[in-house]
Amino acid sequence: MSRKVSISAREFETQAIAQLSALLGVASRLTRNPADAQDLVQDTLLKAMRARDQFEAGTNMRAWLLRILTNTFINRYRRGGLERSVLDGPDADPLADGWISASTMESMRDPESQALRPMLEKEIKRILDELPEEFRLAVVLSDVEELSYKEIADIMGCPIGTVMSRLHRGRRLLKGRLYEHARALGIVGPEALVGDTSEKQEPVIDLSQYREKRVARS
Amino acid sequence: MTSSCRQISPLLEAFGDEELAADKLLEVEQHLVDCDTCGERVRLNQALHVSVRSAVRAAAPVMPGFEERIAQALRAEALREEAVDTVVEREAQHSRMLSWRSVVPVAAAAALTLVWAASTSKQQAQNDGSATEARLNTADQLLEELVDHHMSARGPQVTEPALLSQLEPEVGVPLTLPSLKAYGARWEGANVVPVNNQHAASLRYTMGGRHVTLYVYNSTRVPIESRLTARTVRNEHVYVGTRRGVSIAAAEHRGVGYALASDFNDDESAELVAAVY
Repeated sequence: MSRKVSISAREFETQAIAQLSALLGVASRLTRNPADAQDLVQDTLLKAMRARDQFEAGTNMRAWLLRILTNTFINRYRRGGLERSVLDGPDADPLADGWISASTMESMRDPESQALRPMLEKEIKRILDELPEEFRLAVVLSDVEELSYKEIADIMGCPIGTVMSRLHRGRRLLKGRLYEHARALGIVGPEALVGDTSEKQEPVIDLSQYREKRVARS
Repeated sequence: MTSSCRQISPLLEAFGDEELAADKLLEVEQHLVDCDTCGERVRLNQALHVSVRSAVRAAAPVMPGFEERIAQALRAEALREEAVDTVVEREAQHSRMLSWRSVVPVAAAAALTLVWAASTSKQQAQNDGSATEARLNTADQLLEELVDHHMSARGPQVTEPALLSQLEPEVGVPLTLPSLKAYGARWEGANVVPVNNQHAASLRYTMGGRHVTLYVYNSTRVPIESRLTARTVRNEHVYVGTRRGVSIAAAEHRGVGYALASDFNDDESAELVAAVY
């Protein structure tokens, strides 16, 4: 059972410094600017120090600090809450919706490192930074900080279902962009659609052809 | 994509995040035994997870000096906390004896009595003279220093209200920014200035093109009232006087001293300093 205990300033300093790398990683992806990220981490830790008697012993100190960091970011940089920018491009995941074969997916991975192919990995930071903030934060908290859905929900101040939705959409956008990049680099070739063809999308009608048909009919 | 894949696919992400309920976990594991495509989806999700983690960590290393900067900021905050605790404890001790509202008029009356005694009784002045004189000299020196700082054109160290707390360790008392907007004052910034071997925060305002300096300090270490005249503004005890054409108005609240330097008249200065806390 968790309980609120007051920890000494010295003890807090030791525990906080141990979380510096994690805080800086999340702050950097939120602010996308190293100097702002450092300021955000400092503000966060000073606030946490003043409020350390609110920390519940036995709970995750890193998750508690990340909640303060997220709130500080929202209050300082985004007074209206997390930015809900719209990313251009299809909100579909060709890699999960049955469009792409297993062999194509396999060619995007590096079997030795258990990670993506190095050429794709180089693009991750850029693509991640292009994600809307609420998706980016969910992905970073889950994939980098390995927090549970419940902990992410507490940090982002939303229900677990919303966390799952944000994670899903964030990863879907990431994978879609990486797949496009892999095709541009020639890592994967043109893919014939696989799976259930009854779900194949209707081809997009060319507008000029449509107009010509309308004119011809009239 | 088979109909079975269609049922399993939405569960794969939670499966990779180890957030799946036990019954669904079994269902997914059984499916993965026979389905290469879904197995590859899981491996790709895992590869993405690994790559995101390594990219984010590589992009934000803890630079040399940053850890020390944070440690220093936390230690300064700890010192500020200690200073506040000291003030609170001292106030608690005072309140056990007499409230400050009682103490301040009594102290002021005592000081005035000493001044009066010094001017009317030579013998008594000789007895009490040295202590009184020392106190008055200190107050004189303090007032001179406050006027000097007010007249100097030193640029502010801090111009963001949120950063005022950074000055607290040096000043030794909590710092909040009095807005004084109701009087048309605009805050320009803050410095720490030495006063009587202590430090005071110097908050600079402009009011209709006129400069106003509000000093905030530990009132026990910066006693200036003995050279000022006591008066009451809206039930608040304040002390007012003029030095080298600069009006000085002082007040004390919860162990924190406030002194306002301006070219306003004494009534205006008294009114302003009574509004700062």
